[in-house]
Amino acid sequence: MTEKVEYWVKIPFGPIHPGLEEPEKFILTLDGERIINVDVKLGYNLRGIQWIGLRRNYVQIMYLAERMCGICSFSHNHTYTRAVEEAAGIEVPERAEYIRVIVGELERIHSHLLNLGVLAHDIGYDTVLHLTWLAREKVMDTLEAVSGNRVNYSMVTIGGVRRDIDEKRKRIILDAMKYYREVLPQMEDFFLQDPTIEARFRDVAVINRRVAVEQGAVGPTGRGSGLKDDARWSERLGVYPDLGIKPVMPQDVTGERPHGDVFDRAAVRIGEIKQSIELIEHALDQMPDGKIKVFAKDNILVAKLRNLVDGEGIGRYEAPRGELVHYVRGKKGSDKPPRWKPREPTFPNLFAVAKGVIGDQLADFVVAVASIDPCLSCTDRVAVMEDRGRKRVLTERDLIKASIKKTREINPDIRGDPTPVGLGCSR
Amino acid sequence: MNVVSEFVYPVAGLIGLYAFVSFASLLWEGIDRKLVARMQRRVGPPLIQPFYDFLKMASKETIIPNTANFMFRASPVLALATAIALLAYTPMGFSPILAKKGDVIVFIYLLALISFFKIVGAISSGSPYAKIGAAREATLMVSREPAMMLALFTIMWRLGKLGISKPFSMGVFYVHNIWQVGTPMSMVGAVILLYVFIVWLASEIEAGYFNIPDAEEEIAEGLLVEYSGRYLALLKLTKSLKTYISASLVVAIFFPWGIAGYFGLAGLSADVVNLLFHTLKVFILLFAVMSVFRASTGRLQITKAVNFLWKNVFVAALVGSLLIAMEVIA
Repeated sequence: MTEKVEYWVKIPFGPIHPGLEEPEKFILTLDGERIINVDVKLGYNLRGIQWIGLRRNYVQIMYLAERMCGICSFSHNHTYTRAVEEAAGIEVPERAEYIRVIVGELERIHSHLLNLGVLAHDIGYDTVLHLTWLAREKVMDTLEAVSGNRVNYSMVTIGGVRRDIDEKRKRIILDAMKYYREVLPQMEDFFLQDPTIEARFRDVAVINRRVAVEQGAVGPTGRGSGLKDDARWSERLGVYPDLGIKPVMPQDVTGERPHGDVFDRAAVRIGEIKQSIELIEHALDQMPDGKIKVFAKDNILVAKLRNLVDGEGIGRYEAPRGELVHYVRGKKGSDKPPRWKPREPTFPNLFAVAKGVIGDQLADFVVAVASIDPCLSCTDRVAVMEDRGRKRVLTERDLIKASIKKTREINPDIRGDPTPVGLGCSR
Repeated sequence: MNVVSEFVYPVAGLIGLYAFVSFASLLWEGIDRKLVARMQRRVGPPLIQPFYDFLKMASKETIIPNTANFMFRASPVLALATAIALLAYTPMGFSPILAKKGDVIVFIYLLALISFFKIVGAISSGSPYAKIGAAREATLMVSREPAMMLALFTIMWRLGKLGISKPFSMGVFYVHNIWQVGTPMSMVGAVILLYVFIVWLASEIEAGYFNIPDAEEEIAEGLLVEYSGRYLALLKLTKSLKTYISASLVVAIFFPWGIAGYFGLAGLSADVVNLLFHTLKVFILLFAVMSVFRASTGRLQITKAVNFLWKNVFVAALVGSLLIAMEVIA
């Protein structure tokens, strides 16, 4: 092995690269086109959200959690809300749980369609990208009709949901589901039958079961490798057991034993879109009448939570990318949590795929990274920088200073006032 | 030696052809983008978008990396010069301007030289992505050319047997064509060679499966990654010209018929009408090989593409050539 070292070459892949949706960096060791080693470097998308969160109260953090990531905005908000509800011992009305299921599954459809389009784009198959994203418009419109927003839905609040789903909205959702039942067979054709897709996705970036367990792969990545795990199913989350949830495995979609490759992950996503449609239809059918939230107003909520939250709570939810965990520790008498810590599915998945892609070609790398649907804006929250031998945590203020310094360095003649506009967070 | 007929006419013709082909090939790029956009249910850019792009790029600042050497700047110019020189040997509805005995070798040589200059420019830029792109381009080039050369030489040799004044010249196709041989075996062989040429054309213009050296998502446009401004404009123009020229070769071999004869035209006007008709045929061929192929496939890994080109296309070229050659030899 050692005599081959001289032919190896290290190339940086990222932080900014047309194949990557978000800033993330990999240092690839290549032998020709073959990947020998992958070194993952994180921390290029840091906004210091966790630090900001420590200076906000429980209700304000909800808005913050929602804005961690555009695609799984509902998942973060929902999981955080569950953590606080557990810490405060709040019982959520059943109708609210059903509405959470409906919005959560709509979000899953939209996230999976987005990822399938990105996968096709990464192999240069732009027709599939455009057709998948065209289909995605329908669910975005539905979400807008239901919640008022295309991206940050703001549907969940602590102790329930903000908006009810009335007859009119129910009809809109059912129409969208009818549309997806028509479109989905075409989608299955694209992703399960097409020879180009088969040639590029089969046996690429294989994460076998052992690696998946070792690295703790979750979500479609774990299920594609044969781990039967789904937080909605294994945690008996909310009303999901009543709706007959069960994890979608690759063999349910392709009919073959799980290979753990990109194809299986895409197949799991296709299966989950189908499952989400069924879940939404069931949920709309079974939804009981009743209250949608425990506390009528947010100011009452803030006042109550000050006394209710004591101790710690953990929220778990199956985000489209995998299991998401939020941890909240509260102190009686304070409306700010001393500790709030999310754990994103991308973090373990990224290392699992970095192991899985070794031995494949450089051409497969972008597809491999896209196949876990990485969400780096979720993952990068705290950067610990090594500064002359001592470590320190960079805060928002440090980051703003550093970016101003860097901008001045690149272009000294830049005009404009760098001080932030508005109040921002309390610095 | 007559200066006017030996020197002035060819040069004037070449300049005229260059102007026309630049216009036609950039227009084709616009049509292609529009058609692919419609296939993908998008609106697409206006038809003359490539012209806007060219003018914009030509007026933008050109950034030269610190690590680049002089070949980085020289190679776009040399590549375009090669493409212009190639126009003098390209059959475009009439016998090429500089048609001579054996000029098919010059044609293949100049066509490969364009890729060669692109590779030299890319590896002179010092970017690792460009080097990967250059390696891919070189690999693809040595895999696609043998099948095409075998097929082209077989056809030239077979047509030479029919009796012509300049064998192995690009003008041959307008004297005889491959369908004239007429025997069933040669017909089957010609159809197989048509398949070989269509795959070669797709890999030459890097559409669909073969968009490997310039893979945007994988290696950030590969060969072109460090180019900007004027040099990028030159390289894009070269690529358009090369697309037109490669398609012209396939059209001339398999569909050489002109329409000037039906109108009773002769001389320059016949050439102009034939050139326009040839351009129409090139557009139709490129629609099938480039637009539809690009819209209905993604790119392959380089190993799979090389496997395909050797195990499928080269074997097909061998079989087709044998079928055509057999009846003459036997």
